[in-house]
Amino acid sequence: MRIKRLALSLTLILSSFGFIKAQDVAAGEKVFKANCIACHAINDKVVGPALKDVEKRRDEAWLIKWIKNSQEVISSGDAYAVELFNKYNKAPMPPFASLSDGDIKSLLAYVKKESETPAAAPTASASSTASGTTSATQAPAAPQDSFYNNYTFMALLLMAVILLVVVIVLNRIKGIVENLYKTKFPEEAAANEVDPRTTISYKLFKKHPVVGVLSVLTIVMVVLAGYGFNYGNTEVGVQKGYAPTQPIAYSHELHAGKYQINCQYCHSTASKSKQASIPGANTCMNCHMHVTAKDKYNGQVSPEIQKIYTAIGWDAEKREYIPNYEKKPIKWIRIHNLPDHVYFNHSQHVKVGKIECQKCHGEIQTMKVVAQNATLQMGWCIDCHRQTNIDLQGNKYYEKLHAELKKEGRSDITVAKNGGMECSKCHY
Amino acid sequence: MDNKNKYWKGLEQLNNSPEFVQTKRNEFSEGLPLDEVINEKDFELSSNRRDFLKFFGFSVSAVALAACNNAPIKNAIPYVVKPEEITPGIPNYYASSCGACSAGCSILVKTREGRPVKIEGNEDSPVFKGGVCASGHASLLNLYDIERLKNAFVGGKESSWDTLDKEVKAGLAAAKNIRIVSGTVNSPSIKKAIADFTTKYPSTKHVVYEPISISALIEANKQAFGKAAVPGYRFDKAKVIVGFNCDFLGTWISPVEYTKQYSSNRRLTKENPVMSRHIQYESLLTITGSSADIRMPVKPSEEGAILISLYNKIAALAGAPAISGAQNMEKAGNMIETTAKELWAAKGASLVVCGTNNLDNQLIVNAINTLLGNIGTTVDFDNYSNQKAGSDAEFATFVSEMNSGAVDAVIFYNSNPAYSYADSKAFESGLKKVQLSVSTSSTWDETSKMVKYAAPDSHYLESWGDMEPKAGYFGLIQPTISTVFKTRMALESFLKWSDNNTDAYTYIQNNWKSAILPLANGEWNKSLHDGYFMVAEKAAQTYSNSASLANVTNAAYQNYTANKDKVEVTLYSSVALRDGADANNPWLQELPDPISSVVWDNYVAISKNLADKLGIEDNDLVNIKTKKGSIDGLPALIQPGQPNNTASVALGYGRMVKGNTGKEMVGKNAFGLTALVNGQISYTLGDVTIEKAGGNRELARTQTHHYIEGRAIIKEASLSDYIKDPLAANHDHHGNLRDKDGKLITLWEERDAKGHKWGMVVDLNACTGCGSCVVSCSAENNVPVVGRQEVLVRREMHWMRIDRYYSFKNKEGQTSTKEKDIHKNVTDFENIKVAFQPVMCQQCGHAPCESVCPVLATVHSSEGLNQMTYNRCVGTRYCANNCPYKVRRFNWFRYNDNEKFDFHFNNDLGKMVINPDVTVRTRGVMEKCTFCVQRIQAGKLKAKTENREIKDGDIKTACQQSCPANAIVFGDMFDANSEVSKLLKNERGYHMLEELNVQPSVNYLTKIRNVEGTLLEGDGHATAKHEEHKAEETHTEHH
Repeated sequence: MRIKRLALSLTLILSSFGFIKAQDVAAGEKVFKANCIACHAINDKVVGPALKDVEKRRDEAWLIKWIKNSQEVISSGDAYAVELFNKYNKAPMPPFASLSDGDIKSLLAYVKKESETPAAAPTASASSTASGTTSATQAPAAPQDSFYNNYTFMALLLMAVILLVVVIVLNRIKGIVENLYKTKFPEEAAANEVDPRTTISYKLFKKHPVVGVLSVLTIVMVVLAGYGFNYGNTEVGVQKGYAPTQPIAYSHELHAGKYQINCQYCHSTASKSKQASIPGANTCMNCHMHVTAKDKYNGQVSPEIQKIYTAIGWDAEKREYIPNYEKKPIKWIRIHNLPDHVYFNHSQHVKVGKIECQKCHGEIQTMKVVAQNATLQMGWCIDCHRQTNIDLQGNKYYEKLHAELKKEGRSDITVAKNGGMECSKCHY
Repeated sequence: MDNKNKYWKGLEQLNNSPEFVQTKRNEFSEGLPLDEVINEKDFELSSNRRDFLKFFGFSVSAVALAACNNAPIKNAIPYVVKPEEITPGIPNYYASSCGACSAGCSILVKTREGRPVKIEGNEDSPVFKGGVCASGHASLLNLYDIERLKNAFVGGKESSWDTLDKEVKAGLAAAKNIRIVSGTVNSPSIKKAIADFTTKYPSTKHVVYEPISISALIEANKQAFGKAAVPGYRFDKAKVIVGFNCDFLGTWISPVEYTKQYSSNRRLTKENPVMSRHIQYESLLTITGSSADIRMPVKPSEEGAILISLYNKIAALAGAPAISGAQNMEKAGNMIETTAKELWAAKGASLVVCGTNNLDNQLIVNAINTLLGNIGTTVDFDNYSNQKAGSDAEFATFVSEMNSGAVDAVIFYNSNPAYSYADSKAFESGLKKVQLSVSTSSTWDETSKMVKYAAPDSHYLESWGDMEPKAGYFGLIQPTISTVFKTRMALESFLKWSDNNTDAYTYIQNNWKSAILPLANGEWNKSLHDGYFMVAEKAAQTYSNSASLANVTNAAYQNYTANKDKVEVTLYSSVALRDGADANNPWLQELPDPISSVVWDNYVAISKNLADKLGIEDNDLVNIKTKKGSIDGLPALIQPGQPNNTASVALGYGRMVKGNTGKEMVGKNAFGLTALVNGQISYTLGDVTIEKAGGNRELARTQTHHYIEGRAIIKEASLSDYIKDPLAANHDHHGNLRDKDGKLITLWEERDAKGHKWGMVVDLNACTGCGSCVVSCSAENNVPVVGRQEVLVRREMHWMRIDRYYSFKNKEGQTSTKEKDIHKNVTDFENIKVAFQPVMCQQCGHAPCESVCPVLATVHSSEGLNQMTYNRCVGTRYCANNCPYKVRRFNWFRYNDNEKFDFHFNNDLGKMVINPDVTVRTRGVMEKCTFCVQRIQAGKLKAKTENREIKDGDIKTACQQSCPANAIVFGDMFDANSEVSKLLKNERGYHMLEELNVQPSVNYLTKIRNVEGTLLEGDGHATAKHEEHKAEETHTEHH
């Protein structure tokens, strides 16, 4: 977020100097995100080259021609184009004939603007992702079990000790004063003396010791039971915040946040099936065949990316798959665990309900290490079913229901009202 | 008007024996098994205070520890390279062919993440039309059988396939006389591979052996029409069907195909009240006889004589010469005469079939069909069948050749004669003389244990293969999982041994491209996608019958007179186990026999009169002594419908099977009593002695577990009743339960007709009781197998049961209806009627189970479902007590990972069959049919994601999908155009126990029998003079 804000303020500052029109930049950003971001970044080499200062390398007319149909430029024998093509493993850039010259000019304006933005921040974030995995893993868990060693607790303990000491001291003083009183005024003292058999403590503990012990036990039990109930309800089996170290330090912040790769590019079955499914290594290879992060590891493939290569058998040196390689599946640690007696279907929520992933999984695009965001308890499911309206528009399945509601003069209905709280919707 | 038929669950109820009266009062036959627990040695009941504190302390600390522990780490392991066609969580269906028997039905195999989890019928198939039988469904479980051979074996020791191939090839090269013994091979590619093998080793002869043979039928067709084949029968074209000991709806040749044909002719509407007429003569009670309009019990020895009489009577009508030397034979009510007249009246559109493996009888049947002009119409030799093509004579020759030392190499493929051959001793001694013996059996069966080389065949779901069950109808088998163990397709073994290294896929594809697909411009990919490839049916020709009937009379009458007063026994194949090849399949063992409801056993089904004569009671052990041999100590079961002085015993038992107490012998092998008679294996035994052996073994039956108090649960009318009044037997019964406005009185509020309301219609007229739905339901819903011991104490878990009811005649020959005097009035236990009724949860609108659940574990859904929430259930079982239909099942134990239930849920391989969309229930919770709610949810979601309304037929329950008779229809009752809604308007529809007004979502359609007269009480000539036999519960009539 900070980077974006920085970029935005810089853009504003620069635009105020009148170099580039702001609306061009905004339009260009849109074009960039819609078309280019899958393969290009400003400062980093992704599938295609980094776009920083591209306007300094080539002139505008050439760039327009190239973007509209790169293969045409290459086949025309343009030396720069051919060299570029070969340098990037002959991965052809798809033609963007649909973009107008104006679009491309806006795009270039955006790239120019971004190029002028200092590149320090993103690099820093990338390296922290790579190196800071271990510390990041424990971070979310820290506030949870730190109660017994934080200062508040220590202060409270200290207070308790001091108060105890005060009570003891006061008690001693009271005793001394009473003894003094007895020795000085024995008659009055004798007259004022209370019969010990009338006190509550005597009645409870001396006369009816069983009742006394039981009442104390009952109070203790009630307190304990309340605590236990609360504990059981909110802690047992609830793994909110669970953020295990994964076999590959994959960062959603980098992929979904910085590069804005669509969630369903990797979790491709979320709209089709009950499982969102973790992508196979072959999906990773679509990009990581080219993206090796070598520039950050002194010419070596990033050790994390190398894990993908090891799984699938890709020889990064020769740039080919190792023949007859015994593939090694990646054992990810499952974070969201529903009990076996719960049926949950992603496609129902993603495709039919059109619910954002973040609604349940949290701000996933900011998570370097994925942590469970929701409690995944039934109450949490039901709360949402109670509050969420069914998306009646545009789905013919709901046409009949929609018509019936209209007759009643209503236009919406919650999931719960349409049977979304019935047991056998999720338990069978 | 009420139907006058009174149906009974069984003889116990009929006799109202004190034990029955006692047990019927109890919902569960036994109390809690506390004694078992308490009497365990290391558990002392007299635990003192200190023990209590110990236990208490332990449980508290255990809970505390459990709470502190982190949940176990679970991994999610994605594919490294995700196959394009697999989406985790979405099933894939592959069209294939069923390999459970030689019928080769076209199926769809449902796979999830690469493992087959369900078999469904392929509805596109023009021959099988989407039906699958119980064995077909259960064959899936054989794939996950932990006891399959895991590699090649040489001399009983695990070996590599290379070693086996080298040694087998050396042996074959040295052999001078090679035999391949197989079950019916109707695979064109295996036939070709065997032909290639024969080219390589010219001394090879292929012997086809069927354990339950119909070779007399094939031989008779050869003699009569010059066609050594099983014809294509057309039950759909036959207006009159007469069966002689032929269980064509249950076990005979191609039951699914025949059931589809048969039921298509018995579907009634008011507009078109036409149905076929079916008369069955049989020596034991089969499901075919139960479905028949008229069933005649006959002794096995009578069959030939009756056939001759029938022939002569038809010949008289046709003006053809009679069989000389025949005596006129008649059965009660001039039935043979009636049969002859009806057949003649429907000539050209009638069909006589006989299931007895007796050449003479088959020749007469051929002659009758010829007289009736059925050859070329209902008996089709041009579209013949390749199913069940064994030859008894050839196999007998092979056994004697082995014994003479003439055979020096034998390969058993899909064949286990050591278990099923009549003379297993001769077979065994002969096999010892053979130098090279190979078996491709995938388990250690009786034969594979005896051979030197075990080259296990892969399961058909792991294999490439093809089928030609009927001439011109080709099915393809495609693998739906890679081989689980190091097994090899038998086809590849044959190729390997003939020095051909082609893989099965290429071999089959080449064969199809060169020999099969050109027959009708077929395409390989399309055939593979469809699962079948069909050449247009040929026009059926008529063939003249050239067989002589001169010699049939003597044999028939000799047999008849010799056995007239003797006890006779029929050996039959049971609906569940058939020839016993799949005996180790717990789904089949636990499938109740459709007639007797017995599970996990075979028994001597004995006629009532014989049992009375010999003083035999149910469960008594008896010995059967014949000239051929004997079986000792088989439990007896008094079977209504069994002809007097006869008994019957199921084949396919007597094998080692995993049960409650480890490996145990289930039942007794009756194949030893079969004998070769005139070149055919005979399954009927004359002059038998049955005697009490002393002792007894209680048979586990699901039958008497639920008592019905004589209510009109089955409604039945005759066809003429129905034509007269489509509401016959189905008039309202709720007069006194209605309010002023004529509405049924209820305590509960009615629900808006909004959204969906799921409902089901079951046509009792179509249901044959075959049990396919029961196994299909178990597979779909992860229903556990509980074993014999548990069924004995009435703890079976099937969500779906098929109730079978008997109806008896009293002394006056009328259907006995009066409960009080039925035990003294009924003497005829042969002539009974049987009706089947599939019962699943009725999903009552005002469900009695829901109102008694203290924890709201069973509640109603807005779609009319009676939901069962396992994780909320605390196991009070109040709901089961309050269920009027007794469809709820309680998990007395944890049936998975439990040594005491060592079935497929007790090992990781067996668990692969679990449907991942359905919870595996744990101990202490109630469960029941859910109308396959997982399928409902999936169907709705599919419509939503495809942005369309839900269509009728999108959602099919497992029982509906599998039904070979299309007896079950499921759908949305709020959709006016759905098939269910249309059927709900049918006059025959009624609810079970309507008087309770619990508003079930399951509708039954009245059973209609195509018989003369009426089946209604107090109406028509048949019952006019028997007013005293009116039902106790006389219902008010509304017209």
